[in-house]
Amino acid sequence: MKHFIHAFALATCALASSASLAAQPLELLPTSAGYQPKDEIEKGLWLEMDEAEQQMRASKFLIEDSELNAYVKGVLCRAVGTDKCGAARIYLMRTPQFNAAMAPNGMMLVWSGLLLRARNEAELAAVLGHEFVHFEQQHSLKSFHDIKAKSNAMTWLGFVPGGMLAQIGLMGSVFRFNREMEKQADMAALDYLSASGYDPTAPSKIWEQLLGEMEVQAKANKSGVVAQEASDFFSSHPNTRDRMEYLRAAAQRKAPSSDDGAGRYRAAIARWWPRLIDDQVKLNDFATTEFLLEGLARGDWTADLLYARGELYRTRGRDSDLQMAEGLYRQSLAKDPALAASTRNLGMLLLRQGKSAEGRKLLRRYLDIYPAASDRLLIESLAREPQK
Amino acid sequence: MRLVPLAISLLALVGASMPSFAEWKVLVADEGVNVAGKYIVATPKAGWNSSSARPSDYGERWTRDGLALNELTFFAAIPDGGTLYHASDGTNQTLPKFRSTMQPTEIVELFENSNRILLNSSVFSVEAIEPAKLGAHDGVRFAYSYAAQDEGLTRKGEGVAAIVEGKLYLVNFIAPEIHYFDRDIDEVRQLFATLQLRSPKTSKSR
Repeated sequence: MKHFIHAFALATCALASSASLAAQPLELLPTSAGYQPKDEIEKGLWLEMDEAEQQMRASKFLIEDSELNAYVKGVLCRAVGTDKCGAARIYLMRTPQFNAAMAPNGMMLVWSGLLLRARNEAELAAVLGHEFVHFEQQHSLKSFHDIKAKSNAMTWLGFVPGGMLAQIGLMGSVFRFNREMEKQADMAALDYLSASGYDPTAPSKIWEQLLGEMEVQAKANKSGVVAQEASDFFSSHPNTRDRMEYLRAAAQRKAPSSDDGAGRYRAAIARWWPRLIDDQVKLNDFATTEFLLEGLARGDWTADLLYARGELYRTRGRDSDLQMAEGLYRQSLAKDPALAASTRNLGMLLLRQGKSAEGRKLLRRYLDIYPAASDRLLIESLAREPQK
Repeated sequence: MRLVPLAISLLALVGASMPSFAEWKVLVADEGVNVAGKYIVATPKAGWNSSSARPSDYGERWTRDGLALNELTFFAAIPDGGTLYHASDGTNQTLPKFRSTMQPTEIVELFENSNRILLNSSVFSVEAIEPAKLGAHDGVRFAYSYAAQDEGLTRKGEGVAAIVEGKLYLVNFIAPEIHYFDRDIDEVRQLFATLQLRSPKTSKSR
């Protein structure tokens, strides 16, 4: 499916007590410890969201890895401050598109596609900070007073088809922020990022990546479906190019920092990376995945990235793709001869191409490298020399 | 938003995307029956029903208690370039295509990736893969588990596939991990073990 879920689009719906809140500076903000919903509408929304959060805790899509969760929470805390970040509870979802969302009770959803696309900690912090600012600045309270939004919200409160992800999607359409709010969230998140010592150019860089991905996908989709989705996106959000440019200009006015946390980020997601890239390759969305891989490599193709690109070509499976895949697996193995996945899939590919002797040899090598392989019996049968 | 595609795709595998006019036919127990365009002969135990709504031109779907509780699918003679499923919502172009040169592991990938796309789910894991026979032909058996969006339920599945004369044959069983999979899997394995495949070359018509 050529889904490109709107990044940042399904954003905060922090409902505050009343429109006069801004005039009462001593009132607690939703991001303060001990904040409670005030009026009936807000209480009702919190109740709904608390229930949704209960369901979320039982979701099969939840990534329950405690180390990874602690890392992502730590990035948010460094970005927005440890005094505030406690108001947000982060849920990592195994969903390969790029998205993050936040509910009015402090539930923040982060999709695994974001973890694949962010190239460093600062880029992740930029997205988390953006969502957090919508929450903190109570943008959705203002959206909620829009009469159209209200009727949609009643629909949402009354009947929620399709469960949690659909619910979050509907939230995004109910509490749609205007361009000013998006820009406010962008700029305040940049302030947070800079104050916490992160590279201030990270937000413009992740938008640049997103813009590129949208363009590639729109071009690849001959039916125009994505183009339509993209125009929905543009109608409610600042033009991505504008956004990238105003963020880039604003970053130049901040103190420069080279701390993008790239090494920490790679180490933190290392155990998940093979699954994240596998989820992306299996979407069968060639153009987007090729673009993503190039963005991740930026000229430095590691054994893992070469393997992933080999998978992409092999999976598409045209004759020229298979030759390309063979070359990529070989390059991958030149960099890391013990990479079991490349060994196995080069072996299988050579069998497919009729280069059986070398293919069988590689499959035997795969079993040597990875004796616990769950496909051992099958690979053994394929690796066996034919009876003469 | 994409609420509607989501709601449809999550149910595609369990059959809720079928048209409302799908008809069910009770299958006679312990009698051979032609399945999936007459290219497979199966001998079910009591209680199975066949649907007139097919997962594709090459497939047929059975259930005992309803598709959400148990589902058997049979695919026969999918040609080079064909897809496993026929999706009506425009996702067909992204479904991976069968190639007759595919290796057994790639057939399992074809199955996995087709289902990931239709279910809009990345929570899909192939847990075992081993050599097996389908009819008289060498093939591959695979076991897997997955979750569809928002169901809060893990389903397990097991299938057997083989390429015969360049065409793909694949049979597959899915049921919730809780109770239903274990209840029927031995019977289903027996059913799979006794399937007979017919080549399109020797059959007269679909």
